[in-house]
Amino acid sequence: MIARFSRLLKTALTLTLFAIALAVGWNSWQSYMQTPWTRDGHVRADVVSIAPDVPGPVAAVLVSDNQTVEKGDVLVRIDPERFQIALDLSDATLKDKTAALRQARRDAERYHRLKNGPAISEQNVEQADLAVEQASAAYDEAKANRDLAALNLTRTEVRAPVNGVVSNLSLNPGDYVSSGSGVLALIDTDTLRVEGYFEENQLPSIAVGDAVSVDLMGHPQELRGHVESIAAGIEDRERTNGSNLLADVTPTFSWVRLAQRVPVRIALDEVPADTRLVAGMTATVSVHPRRDGGAPAEASAAESATMRPASAEPAR
Amino acid sequence: MIGDLSLFGVFVPKLLVLLLASYGMLLVLKKVLARLGVYRLVWHPALFDLSIFVILAATAANVAEWYLS
Repeated sequence: MIARFSRLLKTALTLTLFAIALAVGWNSWQSYMQTPWTRDGHVRADVVSIAPDVPGPVAAVLVSDNQTVEKGDVLVRIDPERFQIALDLSDATLKDKTAALRQARRDAERYHRLKNGPAISEQNVEQADLAVEQASAAYDEAKANRDLAALNLTRTEVRAPVNGVVSNLSLNPGDYVSSGSGVLALIDTDTLRVEGYFEENQLPSIAVGDAVSVDLMGHPQELRGHVESIAAGIEDRERTNGSNLLADVTPTFSWVRLAQRVPVRIALDEVPADTRLVAGMTATVSVHPRRDGGAPAEASAAESATMRPASAEPAR
Repeated sequence: MIGDLSLFGVFVPKLLVLLLASYGMLLVLKKVLARLGVYRLVWHPALFDLSIFVILAATAANVAEWYLS
């Protein structure tokens, strides 16, 4: 009797403990799997490729590598001599055309005054009017050419189009730059953000405006932000365009399938003062979904600003 | 539980560290429980050990969460 009782007690004790373990373990597993978080996040920023508008040898590089610049600062000066000469040339042409226009007008005036007399035919008057129009057109052309030359001259100063930091500068005075090809990279610091690459199965629990905490690798302090937007598309890796423009779909059937990653853009709200954000840094991103459905004040403003086009979507 | 832990510049998931620590604690606890004779009151020792491990790990995760936040 006692032996049987003790066996019952032993079974009950073990099973109770096992039940507790199941409950606690399930709870932890749920919170681990259901929290939308990823170790695959990166700090990103727009990079402007600065390209000169006019070709020529570089006269001066006015910035050093990793220098912070403001919008409108001169970065590079291209040798302006050729463009100065072009401007002088077009100035001279403009003067010539101005003089010619004046003379044509005087002639026309004279012909008009004398056209009732015997010496001037109607054709002479018309030709004088024509000469005025032609001289006027030539003047306009010369003026436009002069404006173009002046524009080219101002474009020899390559200016920063955005606030940012010059990066990986390898341009030296004397280098020849051609118009339209990038010569230095400018990282737009106003666009610094974090992009988290979330597994597609986590997306349902992420909404625009959700609070986000970001842990930069090796930084003790946490950054705070909110979900700004979610990418609307990623590349279909199973499909390419074959010859004659037909779809070439890779025939795969894998038992184990990995969730694809979808970029989620996070706007940073709070960055500790001593944290230096470098585009490309690794970050761990955790989203804190709103369970109550009510949006925090500042997040809802951001949401209404960014989500307006999406509201046109048909309701599901 | 979420995030990385830096071990001399090598970043490993906190979960891994947590589970390893729990396993270490389990080994010690097993010795202690055996010495106290608790295993005489246990139906299946392996199931008992597994349960202890899961509870240890979950507790460690919660403690870590609470401590770090």
